[in-house]
Amino acid sequence: MHFTWKIGGEAGFGIMTTGLIFSKISSRLGYQVLDYVEYPSLIRGGHNAYEVCVSDEEITALKKEINVLVCLNEETFYKHKDRLVKQSLVIYDKEDFDFDDDFKKIHVSLNKIVHDFKGQTVMKNTIALGASLAILGAKIEVLLDLIKEQFHKKGDQIIKFNQQFAIAGYEEVIKNYSSFLKNFLVEKNEKKEQLVLSGNDSFSLGAVLADCRFYSAYPMTPSSSVLHTLASWQEKTGMIVRHAEDEIAVINNALGASFAGVRAAVGTSGGGFSLMVESLSFAGVAEIPIVIFLAQRPGPATGMPTWTEQGDLLFAIFAGHGEFPKIVLAPGDQKEMFELTLKAFNLADIYQTPVIVVSDMYLSEGHKTVDKNWLKEVIDNYKINRGKINLIKNKAFKNKKPEIFLRYKITEDGISDKIIPGTPGYFYQENSYEHLEDGHTTEEKQPRKAQVEKRLRKWQTYLKNDFQLPKFYGDYSAEIVFISWGSNKGVVLSAQKKLNEKGIITGFYHFNHIYPLEKEKVYKLLKKNKRYILVENNALGQFGKILSMEIGLEIKEKILRYDGRPITVEDIIEKI
Amino acid sequence: MASIQDFTGYKPTWCPGCGDWGIGMAIKKALVDLNYSPDEIVVVFGIGCSGNMNDFLNAYSLHSLHGRAIANAIGIKLANHKLPVLAVVGDGDCYGEGGNHFLHGCRGNHDIKVIIHDNRVYGLTTGQSTPTSPKGYRSKSTPMGLIEIPINPLALALISGATFVAQSFAGDINHLTLTIKEAMNHKGFSVINVLQPCVTFNKINTYQYYLQRIYRLDKNHPKDNFQRALEKSLEVNKEKFPLGVIYQIRRLCYHEQINQISSSTLVDKKRFFDYDVLSRDFF
Repeated sequence: MHFTWKIGGEAGFGIMTTGLIFSKISSRLGYQVLDYVEYPSLIRGGHNAYEVCVSDEEITALKKEINVLVCLNEETFYKHKDRLVKQSLVIYDKEDFDFDDDFKKIHVSLNKIVHDFKGQTVMKNTIALGASLAILGAKIEVLLDLIKEQFHKKGDQIIKFNQQFAIAGYEEVIKNYSSFLKNFLVEKNEKKEQLVLSGNDSFSLGAVLADCRFYSAYPMTPSSSVLHTLASWQEKTGMIVRHAEDEIAVINNALGASFAGVRAAVGTSGGGFSLMVESLSFAGVAEIPIVIFLAQRPGPATGMPTWTEQGDLLFAIFAGHGEFPKIVLAPGDQKEMFELTLKAFNLADIYQTPVIVVSDMYLSEGHKTVDKNWLKEVIDNYKINRGKINLIKNKAFKNKKPEIFLRYKITEDGISDKIIPGTPGYFYQENSYEHLEDGHTTEEKQPRKAQVEKRLRKWQTYLKNDFQLPKFYGDYSAEIVFISWGSNKGVVLSAQKKLNEKGIITGFYHFNHIYPLEKEKVYKLLKKNKRYILVENNALGQFGKILSMEIGLEIKEKILRYDGRPITVEDIIEKI
Repeated sequence: MASIQDFTGYKPTWCPGCGDWGIGMAIKKALVDLNYSPDEIVVVFGIGCSGNMNDFLNAYSLHSLHGRAIANAIGIKLANHKLPVLAVVGDGDCYGEGGNHFLHGCRGNHDIKVIIHDNRVYGLTTGQSTPTSPKGYRSKSTPMGLIEIPINPLALALISGATFVAQSFAGDINHLTLTIKEAMNHKGFSVINVLQPCVTFNKINTYQYYLQRIYRLDKNHPKDNFQRALEKSLEVNKEKFPLGVIYQIRRLCYHEQINQISSSTLVDKKRFFDYDVLSRDFF
């Protein structure tokens, strides 16, 4: 089973919530899910659409064909009909519009039911969900359960009121379209417990379980849902989640918290990140650990706020004035987001430097099913490593005359011991100026050089201990080798599968430890005489530039997309 | 018990006669008087001649970026609210570059003591005009005279929600020491605007200038009266400078309103590990 269900309607009428409910229903019934949302940067009036791809097996990319299209307005139909095929089912209300095209029409009296039950327009969604489950062969109970959970605080009457819309939609389809009914979404006998996670959800979960205790942010699409999720959890988790006055305050609040000894992170998109960059450099020289979640959207400037792009990679890698080490990671999917978020907090502490976790709207806001047991296993195996940060406040020193602590002691691995402010018996400063080992400002040649080298040595230590080479997918003997990074992982994997069906074998190097790169090892991997194809969701082929700069590899063939939409399987296949 | 010497770090690089000497001494005296030790306090410094105190004062400290000291101080206080947190900043630093943080710091009533060296010039960058320079002030960056009128630090702090607003003078170490001690004993966002001559670049607002225009607030000044405080804050328009605490009220601090840290500091809390309770949201 492998189908796409899509719902569309006017912005502000609950499309997003409805889409996510459909994903959760499919997941609860035992299927795997990948979803994607399209919406304009406004609250009312534009077009919203949510598509959910459902399958028996893991889904790594969206598919072109829409099998069930739910049209809450006429625009939905005309915007998406180019992806319908003859067998596609169109759920709509004749009262809104009608069409002559040769698709399977499922008329549901959305307007009449809302009117009869004295409901609100937004309840058309519930009717449409009921109708969708009927046509797909699912039982209505799973939806009724979700409605019950959603409204459990509001009492039985509200629950029943909402459930009747679902039932009405369901029954109307069963009654009128018995010959159209499919068995696409029949509950599976053997089910794994699954979670439906967006990239942002994965980051949020990862941050909590990595013991991040301070998260600050300023709302910015597509990173905002991390702020919302962590804020909604804070009384349970104990994390302090702070919506500060601007992104400069956001990162400096977090740096203050980190200086004082807690794990801290910030989240933003390109514009907000731009504002943080001076402070990123501060974190670099003062050696303050920080995790920055950078969910990209198309720029420049305000750009296209609710769409996707990978246009900020070079900016992230080179952000900050002066030369200091930073680590850039770019997870390929929801699972990698979880693992690399956990890792990012360790790396920030071990190397006492900024770690940037790069996402984009496609990964941040799209959901995917993740096996709960897998998550549990990752969590059970995770060990917090705070490196040389010592939280133990030795009370034995309480009566000792405080002396200066060498916060920036020159070491072989570039990393110095840190005790936290308030530790009895010592004091020190962390300094945005160049400094001596004791933190005191200096402009002398020798200590300056020694501190620059000490800081940059952290990169060497990282490459030796924590860097990971790109993962290879496919056939090592293949002539065609894709090279990509971050959220393009899934679509390249899907394209490989399709090409394989056509008898074209391929290989694929997926990078998620983006910068710094272990040059010699990467060079060895990629020096072979192959047909390399770079796949990126930007116009300049930014990661290609990094490879060119670092290992001298010039990739001539590029599949680039920069219209605000994610790369599709078709984009890749047609170039082979 | 710590002494002034224990708080004394490297030899200062301030100009002879600079108001920073007085402010530096008053801070140390206040800390000694209040029986603090260098390992028990955190000081965040901005960038400027004021911020250069970082090397001269022994404490756990963070020498931040220009304008960002308050933003860092907020994070430190939230991570470990048992530590007293001071921000030592300048007028250009705090009212110019970091103006937004100042506004929102007042509003949030974060428990931070902000000591602003208000010398009405950018000393470290050789004397350009700042947000507190008078209209018409001629400097390297405003050779034809400053077009803007100055901001009013005390009024700004008051209307933005600061719960402790005071003014003192770098030339009166005793008064300043006393004011800093009062701020340290206050719970909430504390603003001390310190009138400070810059002997090198500001030839107008000199020691003489201030000595003729400052006066100590009457003992009976009603500190909890917002209207009266506002009136006092406006006297700067007539070139009169009241010294003392012009306003002080008790309002819950930001950190006192966060349940997560009601029984332990953030840094000392036990790690949260209940993954199941969160994962329910995604089922």
